[in-house]
Amino acid sequence: MRDMEEYIVFIEFLELFQSQLVEDPIRGRMDVIHHIFYEKFPETNVPDIGNFMSYVNEFNDLCGYALEFEGSTVAPVLVNVVWDRVELLENALVGTRNKPKIQQQLTSEPSSENKENKLTLSLKKLLEEPFVSVLQLYSKGFDLSYNRLDELLKAKTSFSILMTEKIKLKTEFKKGPEVCEDANHCNILSNAIFNKSGLNAKNANIEQKQAHTLLQQNKHLQSTDAYKCSQTKVHFLPIFNANTDLYLGDCSYLDTCHKLKSCRYLHYFTLKPSNNFQPLPANERLQRISYVDHDFTIGDCFTEYTRKLTPPQWINCDIREFPFPVLGKFAAIVADPAWDIHMSLPYGTWKDLELMHLPMNELQDEGIILLWVTGRSLEIGRKALTTWGYKISDELIWVKLNQLKRTIVTGRTGHWLNHSKEHLLMGLKGNPVWVNRKVDVDVIVSGTRETSRKPDEVYDIVDRIVGKYARKLEIFGRDHNVRPGWFTIGNQVTGTTIYEPDVQKRYNEYKESRNKS
Amino acid sequence: MASTSSKWSEENDYANEYIHTGVQPISHVRNATMPREGYPKLEKLHQLKEKKVSEHAVKPYGCRIAAHLLMIQKLNSWITDHGLVFDVIMIGALVENQFILPLLTNLPIQKLCAKPGYLFIWATTQKIQELTKVLNNQNFNSKFRRLEELIFIQCNQESGGGKGFGPEDYQTCEKVPLLQRQQWHCWMCITGTVRRLTDNHLIHCNVDTDLQIQTPQSVHEGPSAVPDAMYKIAENFSNTNRRLHIIPSRIGYNVPVRPRKGWVIMLPDIILDNFDPSTFQKELYEKSKVNYAKSNQPQFLVPQSAEIEELRPKSPNK
Repeated sequence: MRDMEEYIVFIEFLELFQSQLVEDPIRGRMDVIHHIFYEKFPETNVPDIGNFMSYVNEFNDLCGYALEFEGSTVAPVLVNVVWDRVELLENALVGTRNKPKIQQQLTSEPSSENKENKLTLSLKKLLEEPFVSVLQLYSKGFDLSYNRLDELLKAKTSFSILMTEKIKLKTEFKKGPEVCEDANHCNILSNAIFNKSGLNAKNANIEQKQAHTLLQQNKHLQSTDAYKCSQTKVHFLPIFNANTDLYLGDCSYLDTCHKLKSCRYLHYFTLKPSNNFQPLPANERLQRISYVDHDFTIGDCFTEYTRKLTPPQWINCDIREFPFPVLGKFAAIVADPAWDIHMSLPYGTWKDLELMHLPMNELQDEGIILLWVTGRSLEIGRKALTTWGYKISDELIWVKLNQLKRTIVTGRTGHWLNHSKEHLLMGLKGNPVWVNRKVDVDVIVSGTRETSRKPDEVYDIVDRIVGKYARKLEIFGRDHNVRPGWFTIGNQVTGTTIYEPDVQKRYNEYKESRNKS
Repeated sequence: MASTSSKWSEENDYANEYIHTGVQPISHVRNATMPREGYPKLEKLHQLKEKKVSEHAVKPYGCRIAAHLLMIQKLNSWITDHGLVFDVIMIGALVENQFILPLLTNLPIQKLCAKPGYLFIWATTQKIQELTKVLNNQNFNSKFRRLEELIFIQCNQESGGGKGFGPEDYQTCEKVPLLQRQQWHCWMCITGTVRRLTDNHLIHCNVDTDLQIQTPQSVHEGPSAVPDAMYKIAENFSNTNRRLHIIPSRIGYNVPVRPRKGWVIMLPDIILDNFDPSTFQKELYEKSKVNYAKSNQPQFLVPQSAEIEELRPKSPNK
């Protein structure tokens, strides 16, 4: 049994918050009220909700059911406080402690003055030693603090935390090598490979193996530090030769320079680590991926563990004429159209309209689409997505890296400013419950490759959003775009390969009908 | 056949790495802190231009006024009573929920902006489509062309104590984004005509890039609602001296807007409230190279040097 005094604290608490407890955002939820109460009065010793509920029920018994609840006994919700009854109990309890106060109480009406006194008293009590500043006091409960509210709103939900964890388990870790930031190492290694061996990287096409053999032979020329580092990290070795003019700095094109032999700017040789990351044995890898055991299966396909990834499929065709129903429906579509970016052409060229008029609605009932756009086509791309019935949900920015893993800042890559990124618009159709949200960030940092070839990271990001076994389509694809789990169409892929029997059947029918006509 | 798409390659896959380590892909960019590393000529150009801009810049001006109706009134009075015109107008900052659209629809932009003139408008990913509509509406009358879409990326969400450049990411409220947001968009628009080849007194092209990354350095300088880098792009591109920045919302003290030399900043809670049209204009005439040639309107320019002309990237001369 508790001391009667202990219930005074609850009265103080009720008076402090008054109707706030039953209003938004608390709405009488006892778990929330418990939290607030225990933060304000930790000395009451009700650390868990069970203790607190029995404490509140005892209090309610004492004061003749001043607290009115609704809802189940498991999760009761406070809907009203009968203040008269609380006051009666207060008078009785305070009376046992402080007689003169009762007399005052009895003679006067239920005074607001007294309430105020109690409020100031309790506030003063809070401000007593150890001294707590007003701001700290405010940030203790989320009832009065905007910052706290903001934090709550920004906090990750359990759903998104679990989702992220699950995807982490399902995604194979592709750890790549780090880059050595020690310029000294690079100079030492460059010296050991090029100067001493008489090799000229601009003329001789040095293989990684050869470079590492040379390093081993010239071990005496290097510090042990640099040599060791060359085994585990990537180094960019400056190549000095007769043409190189150090005052000019790095070449804008680096390893893609067309005049490598005569260029006076500085170029680099990428020395990859000799100890490459060894892949795990195939069977071990499989185990790690497919037997991941978890109970969080929201958004998973129920045949997830028995499914096999479809081998790469592709159809060589003219997209403008190809009937999309042959392909079926897809969860994700990636498109990298060859935009007509001739600035001299008037705004609405036929090609833009052509793209806009593609019957994209035949390919997807709900799902995501990703559309690569550049410069002027940014606006057309945004318009096209809306026309096709998508909501633009995100924009992925590809930060393009050069050989040295730096952004491209020179070389007049744009009309007004240099261009060092590209945009990938992401559209969402319908309200698919099966997509995984906010696992990846909307920035891809990846190196440039052949002209207009886009980073492969996109495929994995799409996999993480729609699931590995979902049907995925790439339009305007080329040979290097075909991959397991994906269907690639376009006039630049070689031949046609189909594994899905239903698609094969419809494709044959389409071919036949075309041959007849 | 299990996972052919995921090879153990020698290349880095930073998106994959992020899933496993939580290290932001953008933090792997090696020149984030020193963007022009390896390009001494470009670095020199930036230094020279910064010096010139600073030498000829007016003192920092602030105009404290409530958004957005009073702002419009004030701007109208600047135009009609004092004949004020600006060459570079930046609108918005890295805060959500600004009254950018009501401001844009009512802004006396045609009179306020010189010709040629440049507009920098901030937007989040979800605001872009509305922005597209605004730029095609009656007020703008399609007189402004979008030249570039700049992207600003923050290096780390947690940097600066969680306060700073990050687009607000309310996990529970928004259902639409499929990715975590890290980017801000800034539209660079132009009105009137400039020729890249011949108008080098007005603009310098290709000095900066369309991507700016918040560097750890700038995090140490303390949070700011407007990254220095974005002011610098405007200053490096346009060689004119009248720059106005309007932010149509309160910013608060967590992520303040800092007064900047060479700019008039209009903001409901800017710390400095010293703007006076006549003082400003007087200072403009003192600090700028005034050019009366060709057009009737005088141009207020930042004079350039032969060295800058030598170093700046140029279009191939035919």
